[in-house]
Amino acid sequence: MSGNEPEVTEALLLGFADGKLTDAERVAVERYLAQHPEKAAEVAHWQRQNEALRALFDPAAKEPVPARLAPRLIASRRAGDSGLRWPQMAAAAVVLIALGASGGWLGRDLVFPEEGPSDILIEDAVSAHALFVKEKRHAVEVAATEKDHLLSWLSNRIAHPIDSPDLSGEGFALVGGRLLPASAYSKAGPAAQLMYENAAAERVTVYITAALPDGASAREFATHDTLDAFYWANDAITCTVVGDLPEAQMQTVAKKVYSELTRRPDVTYRDL
Amino acid sequence: MQFLDEISESVPALRRYARALTRNADRADDLVQDCLERAIRKQGLWAPTGPLQAWLFKILLNLYRNDARHQRRRGDHVPIDSLLVEPAVPAPQPGRIALSEMSRAIDALPAEQREALLLVVLEGMSYQEAAGILAIPAGTLMSRLSRARAALRTMTGVSEEPRLRSVK
Repeated sequence: MSGNEPEVTEALLLGFADGKLTDAERVAVERYLAQHPEKAAEVAHWQRQNEALRALFDPAAKEPVPARLAPRLIASRRAGDSGLRWPQMAAAAVVLIALGASGGWLGRDLVFPEEGPSDILIEDAVSAHALFVKEKRHAVEVAATEKDHLLSWLSNRIAHPIDSPDLSGEGFALVGGRLLPASAYSKAGPAAQLMYENAAAERVTVYITAALPDGASAREFATHDTLDAFYWANDAITCTVVGDLPEAQMQTVAKKVYSELTRRPDVTYRDL
Repeated sequence: MQFLDEISESVPALRRYARALTRNADRADDLVQDCLERAIRKQGLWAPTGPLQAWLFKILLNLYRNDARHQRRRGDHVPIDSLLVEPAVPAPQPGRIALSEMSRAIDALPAEQREALLLVVLEGMSYQEAAGILAIPAGTLMSRLSRARAALRTMTGVSEEPRLRSVK
């Protein structure tokens, strides 16, 4: 390589094989490969890999699409049947759907591990919700009548100051809260569970722990049977909002909790 | 309804990707069906600023990973002939990789490398799109692709003559 040539990186070579380069980059790589036969052989092999992969799998995209994969049919069936069935996945555990637009994520350093602490925290929050929302007399350890005591106690125990989000605008009043042990599998500490209830006796819970050791930001949405869970983490806390409200209402509540508990005004719910 | 039409347009690509991941036509279509049902159910959560196709792939991938995890736990065994979805192909021409060889090689890749490579090669995603769908930094994507390439090269033989051409 002569001195004034741009550095041809592995990423550029991969981009060349995949046809992802600009014209200028392509010309630079071509020039480089002309002088480096070993690299040229490698890149040529990558191109043959691409040909073989397409030959193997492209036909699947050209097959006629079966009726059961027609979105309109699925949508109309759904409209006539609110109890949706998930034939193959019914037994699967929490199915995670990471939401968001791909482009905006790159700069934000958001990483969703395949089965990370967030999955465990979401599962814990969902099972704690399922366990305690059924309770009438023992739904909470400390009732909302002792709110100040409740919040200072929970803040102490999870080692992070928390305030109870005000959901009165959404029709929910604080019932109270309880302390839950740290999960043996996540790196989070003990959790505070706050329970809210509306006039229709529907309940949502907010499950809060101090930040995970890495303090990484994450946002996820999960469903488990009929329960929806909105999860996020930042360098202060992790929080999971759980409930089985209608979708739009659930979103409104989660959005409110998020805005009340997030310190940074520049992060909007849209980013979820 | 435009949302449903846009989803329809992505179905062939979703089927192809699911087929390549699962190597089983029925399982692949089950995954795509689940993906579509979820997408339609959750469409209110989709921020219209983001690309719909990327969102669909993300849902599909999460369902696939969950399903794969579940199958591993169950020790599920699929009859071997249903795994083989290779088209009938003539013997490879000189300078080409035998498809049966590639079929075995792609199966032998670690899942994370296979997921990444297929998004880029099969679905023609840009590196940025693929990294977004996999929710990994761009650098991680590139290193996965690089390792996948090297592994495939080892598994499918390195002796062929170079036949370089430029790709636009």
